[in-house]
Amino acid sequence: MAILEVKNLHKSFGKTEVLKGIDFSLEEGEVLSIIGSSGSGKTTLLRCLNSLEFADRGTITVAGESIFDSSVDLKARSEKTLREKRLYFGLVFQSFNLFPQYSVLENITLAPKLLKKATNEEIEKTALELIDSVGLSEKINNYPCELSGGQQQRVAIARALALKPQILCFDEPTSALDPELTGEVLKVIKSLADKNMTMIVVTHEMSFAHDVSDKVIFMDSGVIAESGSNEILTNPQSQRLKAFLNAFGK
Amino acid sequence: MNTFLIVLEALNVGFLQTLKLFAVTLIGAIPLGLIISFGSMSKFKPLSVLVKTFVWIIRGTPLMLQLLIVYYFPGLVLNNPIWGSGESGRFIAASIAFILNYACYFSEIFRGGIQGVPVGQKEAGQVLGLSKSQIFFKITLLQMIKRIVPPMSNEIITLVKDTSLSRIIALQEVIWAGQSFMKGAQGISGQIWPLFFTGIYYLLFSGILTIIFNKLEKKLSYFKT
Repeated sequence: MAILEVKNLHKSFGKTEVLKGIDFSLEEGEVLSIIGSSGSGKTTLLRCLNSLEFADRGTITVAGESIFDSSVDLKARSEKTLREKRLYFGLVFQSFNLFPQYSVLENITLAPKLLKKATNEEIEKTALELIDSVGLSEKINNYPCELSGGQQQRVAIARALALKPQILCFDEPTSALDPELTGEVLKVIKSLADKNMTMIVVTHEMSFAHDVSDKVIFMDSGVIAESGSNEILTNPQSQRLKAFLNAFGK
Repeated sequence: MNTFLIVLEALNVGFLQTLKLFAVTLIGAIPLGLIISFGSMSKFKPLSVLVKTFVWIIRGTPLMLQLLIVYYFPGLVLNNPIWGSGESGRFIAASIAFILNYACYFSEIFRGGIQGVPVGQKEAGQVLGLSKSQIFFKITLLQMIKRIVPPMSNEIITLVKDTSLSRIIALQEVIWAGQSFMKGAQGISGQIWPLFFTGIYYLLFSGILTIIFNKLEKKLSYFKT
């Protein structure tokens, strides 16, 4: 059974329809890349999955659990169940969004401690392991303003992982980085893929997408214009994807 | 020399009243200002319009006029002199006017501070499953405080000097005490220097506050927002 099933997702902002019926599914351990030009709805789709936006129509199901169902009145859902549903997903933002007043370690332990996920000792032990796995053991007591963008994004990944999400989403994780810093972040994402973490990556890094993805979705004007294995990146079928990849110089 | 000591003692008593009004205003206006700022940001339109109108009226009229209205309106218009005629009644009336006035100014600073925290901070808290109050108290609040320290220190130093406006309803603060020696208080009359000398009190006190706020700013400089 698929770990994630998205059916007929529609979302409008005012009169602009941003998502016009999105359907896809994802198996456990798979990596899905979502590509497409800006304004195609990629980020809105991720935000719907993470309940930062609510779709107007459609359903989202994770491991058989309904995350979103437009036939159920939104207001009938309590804040508590909403918070629980959010935890099925993790989200790494384009602009990192680390908490500036907390150290690297505190950024990672803050939410698990507030949500009482385990004892404080266990939470800190897990956090230190995560920091080690993203290669920042020497920076545990540093503050975000003392880190490079690449280091901040690696902390953000560790922070998302600390809550053990079923599916980890990345919203253009390297777009805010200097080119020489993207490699270190992509390496961390690749290592997660090697550990069979289920992930959805919105990205403009085509060679990376080809390298890491089991599935690729190409979005254009709010619809999935083409989808398939990573081969669609080297052998696109639709005219629109061909034109898009050409614009990337592929 | 003897005159100087008499004057100094009277000014000290007056300045104590100044300090009391200053402290009461801060204690009342900071929480009330926070409530007003939430009201003005409310998504419930009638509430936010009402609150914004109130802020407009208070910020759009002189504090001196507000002091006069709060003090004289109950007695002279409603025929119900709830403040009485003593110093304690004048102090309560002055406190109410100052708290309302400063709460409105503070509320705008707080609103700017809250809205100035990037929306990504709130969203990062949301995707980590935190509740609204956890996001406010654990993430937004300190970043907001860091942002509002400079404008708040400005406003609070202005408050030190604004307390002198309560002279208009004869609150016996330091200006009132200084002036009294022009009119024969304790057998001393025709002396203008005690009034001028009150400036030293304001200078010293605002100097101390400036040092405190600089320290606070430094303490919060370990992170950048």
